[in-house]
Amino acid sequence: MRRSAPRTYLAARLLVSLVLLGACGRTGDRRAAASPASGAVTVTDDAGHSVTLPAPARRVVSVAPSSTELLFALGAGAQVVGRTTWCKYPPAALAVPVVGDGLNPSLEAVAARRPDLVVLYRSPLNAAAAAQLARIGIPALVVKQDRLEDLARAARLLGVVTGHSSAGDTIAAAIDAVLRGPLRPPSPPPGRVRLAFVVWDNPPMVIGAGSYLDQIAGLAGGVNVFHDIGSASATVSLETVAARDPDVIAVLDDSTPVGEPAYTARPEWQVVRAVRQRRFVHLPADLFGRPSPRAAEAVAELRRRLEAWQ
Amino acid sequence: MRWLALAGLSLVALALAVVLGPAHVAFADLGRSPIVRELRIPRALLGFVVGGSLAVSGASLQALMRNPLADPFLLGLSGGAGLGAVAALALHLGGPWAVPLAAFIGALVALALVFRLGLIGGAELDPRVLLLGGVAVGAFAGAVMTAIISVSEAAQLRNAFLWLWGGLSGASWDTLLVLCLYVPVPLLVLVASARPLDVLALGEEPARYLGADVTALKRRVYLAASLLTAAAVAVSGVIGFVGLMVPHLCRGVWGQRHRALLPASFLGGGALLVLADTAARVAVAPRELPVGIVTALIGVPLFALLLRRWTAT
Repeated sequence: MRRSAPRTYLAARLLVSLVLLGACGRTGDRRAAASPASGAVTVTDDAGHSVTLPAPARRVVSVAPSSTELLFALGAGAQVVGRTTWCKYPPAALAVPVVGDGLNPSLEAVAARRPDLVVLYRSPLNAAAAAQLARIGIPALVVKQDRLEDLARAARLLGVVTGHSSAGDTIAAAIDAVLRGPLRPPSPPPGRVRLAFVVWDNPPMVIGAGSYLDQIAGLAGGVNVFHDIGSASATVSLETVAARDPDVIAVLDDSTPVGEPAYTARPEWQVVRAVRQRRFVHLPADLFGRPSPRAAEAVAELRRRLEAWQ
Repeated sequence: MRWLALAGLSLVALALAVVLGPAHVAFADLGRSPIVRELRIPRALLGFVVGGSLAVSGASLQALMRNPLADPFLLGLSGGAGLGAVAALALHLGGPWAVPLAAFIGALVALALVFRLGLIGGAELDPRVLLLGGVAVGAFAGAVMTAIISVSEAAQLRNAFLWLWGGLSGASWDTLLVLCLYVPVPLLVLVASARPLDVLALGEEPARYLGADVTALKRRVYLAASLLTAAAVAVSGVIGFVGLMVPHLCRGVWGQRHRALLPASFLGGGALLVLADTAARVAVAPRELPVGIVTALIGVPLFALLLRRWTAT
């Protein structure tokens, strides 16, 4: 699993760069990506608020792991002056001071970083924070990042406000390309692997169609057996998991060493065939733990891991 | 007649729990399906034992405290169990039984603390001090638990709240077996205390004049009821309202005598929890509701109705 990771990584990177090159050629403005533009910018964020900055932000506090990763991917890493405890990718982000946990952030810690822009994840828990930041004169940008298409939009938005708009367009185009599925091989795999993402065992919680993971599963040639659940995640009965009978269970690993989930040893879970037969797909959390600009890589990685179970 | 009705209700509840479920199992296949054999039957039986235990524990505590609002979780056990479970998750204790075991130990520690606080005035267990001690210990454990969750790095720990809200997802024949070996002892202790509990209803002094050993009775009932609750919370989290409501409903039909009230509460609590769990599994299928929410949805209106009736008379 780990041995062949660099090769896949390179292959995926190559595909992404090809897409990127294509996209750059289309916009025809590659130099602008390298040097931040100047001048006032006005954007509408995902909460529907209009945010105006006198100039592209130079000191950004990012209060969501996915926007931190996105900012670094845009080439705006040097402008990030605050992050959450959960922002651990890319490794360069670890050097950025921590301001809190993400939801309902500590405004004093945020303000102490003297940001000219704060990026918040769209959640009711952050609505009060956005209003309070506005009161003390710090612009806040609320960004929705639940699905891959949200990420394309977020890339453009963050690109504009940090002065890396062409890099934003490039990443957005790459994600759109993934969503259109150009990476899919010409002939679809014969039997699509039916998988379930089990994120908690008691009560059983699974990933539904509202999550980017459902999208990645579909793009990787698999089928999420809980695709009929509209929300990102849901509590279900164990007997529903057994009745849906997934071929494999996808497990998000945020701890090393990678082991079988503890419920594998529980007697009641033996009713689920994939658990009984130990059919698990382990997904590294830094690639699959949030919607990421490396979506193409995630799709390729999951496809490779699912092929082992066909 | 009313006993027959209650027995009938219990059987209907158990039958529904086995026949109904989010997964489609044909009627003819009920005997052969592993979903029925390994999931539904143990879950229904576990729900019955847990519901019955909570109701008996609630009925006994209401008599002990001479307070109609007494509930198995009022005395800090839910906080202790939750803290135990969260600690097990935070310390990455391995093994499939780590969380229920840690929850049980947490509940026992809370029980011991509250018991010690209850004896603060001397050898006599003071119900008022017990109540205050229970609330204090529960609140403290809850605060420590929330603090651990909020400073913890593991996102998974937040799901501990889901576990705490109660549910019978962890039901298996093994869990049922363990519970069935454990539960009869405190249950029998409580049923054997039925007669003195009736006398205690007159007040501690009159009960003493009537020859009841009130000091020993209070300790015995508190410990047995709490041990029942500790086991219930370990296998199914905190399920509210069964322990509060069922005894009151049963008092309406069977009167104040504990010899009848305790067995009736056991059957009633079991039937109610099994019905609520079936509703939780089926109502929004393929999703599942936390069963504690269903018991509250049924329980609160019923309770409000009862309150109106009592205040009217």
